[in-house]
Amino acid sequence: MNTPQLAAGIGILAFRQLSGIAAFHKIVIRFYLGVVDITMTEPILDIRDIRVRYAGLPVIHGLSLTVGQGETVCVVGSNGAGKSTLLRAIMATQRTFEGEILFKGKAIHGLKTEDIVRLGIIYVPEEKMLFGPLSVEENLMLGAYVVQDKQRIQQNLDFVYSLFPRLEERRRQAASTLSGGEQQMVAIGRGLMSNPEMLMLDEPSLGLAPILVDEVLDTVGRLKKEGMTILLVEQNVREALVLADRGYVIQTGKIVAQGSGKELLDSDLFRSAFLGI
Amino acid sequence: METLKSAFDFSDFPRLDISIAGIIAIFLLVFPLFSHSAFAMATMIQFLMFSVYGMGWNTIGGYGGQVDLGKAQYVGIGAYTTAVLLIRWNIPFWFSMPLGVCLAMAWSFIIGYPLFRLKGHYFAIATIATSLVLMDLFSVWEFVGAARGLEISPIKYHYPDFWRLIFKKDIYYYYVILGFFFVGILYVNGFRRSRLGFQLRSIRDNEEMASSLGINVHWAKIKTYAIATAFVSVVGSFHACYIKNIEPQDTMGLDLSILIALMAMLGGAGSLWGPIIGAAVLIPLKSYLKAWLGGAAGLAGIDLVIYAVIIMLISALEPRGIWGIVEKVRRRRWQ
Repeated sequence: MNTPQLAAGIGILAFRQLSGIAAFHKIVIRFYLGVVDITMTEPILDIRDIRVRYAGLPVIHGLSLTVGQGETVCVVGSNGAGKSTLLRAIMATQRTFEGEILFKGKAIHGLKTEDIVRLGIIYVPEEKMLFGPLSVEENLMLGAYVVQDKQRIQQNLDFVYSLFPRLEERRRQAASTLSGGEQQMVAIGRGLMSNPEMLMLDEPSLGLAPILVDEVLDTVGRLKKEGMTILLVEQNVREALVLADRGYVIQTGKIVAQGSGKELLDSDLFRSAFLGI
Repeated sequence: METLKSAFDFSDFPRLDISIAGIIAIFLLVFPLFSHSAFAMATMIQFLMFSVYGMGWNTIGGYGGQVDLGKAQYVGIGAYTTAVLLIRWNIPFWFSMPLGVCLAMAWSFIIGYPLFRLKGHYFAIATIATSLVLMDLFSVWEFVGAARGLEISPIKYHYPDFWRLIFKKDIYYYYVILGFFFVGILYVNGFRRSRLGFQLRSIRDNEEMASSLGINVHWAKIKTYAIATAFVSVVGSFHACYIKNIEPQDTMGLDLSILIALMAMLGGAGSLWGPIIGAAVLIPLKSYLKAWLGGAAGLAGIDLVIYAVIIMLISALEPRGIWGIVEKVRRRRWQ
């Protein structure tokens, strides 16, 4: 146990509390017992010991994870480790058999997908799942389905176009005719159209050329700067962990390591599992 | 006001399409003024009726991708409501038709809720089953004439009776159904770009993704199923006054359900013009082949064979129907 770090953390927390400065969602005080991490703020997403099965087979066994307000949390792991299943379980497209999923303190594991979306969680799947025959703008507008205020929708559209100017140029073009990188921009933009409180991105760089991977991860970085809460599942482990505030390493449906991006990159477990060092 | 504006907005179609549609609309408006046979007029009325049936089916089947093979039950509800109210209580068409629509929609909500728990082929089979069960119930229900059906006797009314839709000349029926046809086109044109229309198209493409956008997939399907029901119920009511003799087998049979779905599929499901093109091809083909070949000695039934071959050919060439072929050719020329 790193006592000085713990003491410093508790000191900062006490100071913040006493001085009445409450806006510190992202202040996370960590102490490390190997790979153990403690989030001191109230998490916006709190997953507690969930178990999920896929096609009858257990895929996630007692997984716990938290995401704080405004944090970018990255989940990494090998293929078949259960990363996408975890995101699907949060969205209730995959049934959770045991455990709890709390969003802003409210249990969401029994809700329907559309109700979870209304609470403010948006999922951008790895397959992008654009509506091919529809235009770029029509795809984006579908993302604003839960927003009723037309002015707000227009503001969101302007924000998406400011984030991805190329989409504005191609707003009337059918989504199926776009390049892979542009389709990913539409998928992320569509997610942003509903004013999400938390964005879940499932392998946004999958199948993209290296230059486009950088572009997509830059976008994630810009969203992070805007204060968006992001739960990111990504195969480009090194880049994703550099970008993230915190990371979790998942193996065969269990969390085996967690910590800040830098700490994970430096940890022996991570280096041997992912980098072969 | 915005909905009305959207219904009249055809700006996303190429000018050529709008010009052709305009010429066809003028032709339909002036057709009865030219010399024509009773057979041609009857065929045109059938074409308009099946176009409207197809437009209704197209909302749930084409835009929503839910293959509904039980639409005839709603034709029956519309037809029987109008016939029963007219025969027993002399209630005019313009009152009984909306009532028939309400009853059909209420029935569609009742069965739609469990039906849309099913997907794909299971859904299609369940729609057939519900329609056949209703047909069997009507076949033994004495109040609605059981298997004999109901007959509207025109001699009780003074021609032309616009309230009860009882006419001697088919030209009146023609213009009434033409009115429904134009209203149907405008409605579907507005629908395809409406909030519900976009929901449906996203559900057709990917249900899981649609629900991940916050769309209540089940409810969107039920609502659209009710809209489709309203279309066929209106024509069902018209059918009762036009044919004047309705039987469970004719108004609720499987043949009719399949024919309605075929119109839209053949013309191009999920496109505005598809059901009209489908009806324009199938109805004259069916009528004329039956009249020319069906009656000839030794050729009885050959009309059905030709009819089936044409359907198979188009399905094999382009699953998106005739409109799909048109779009394919157009894309190639542009490239």
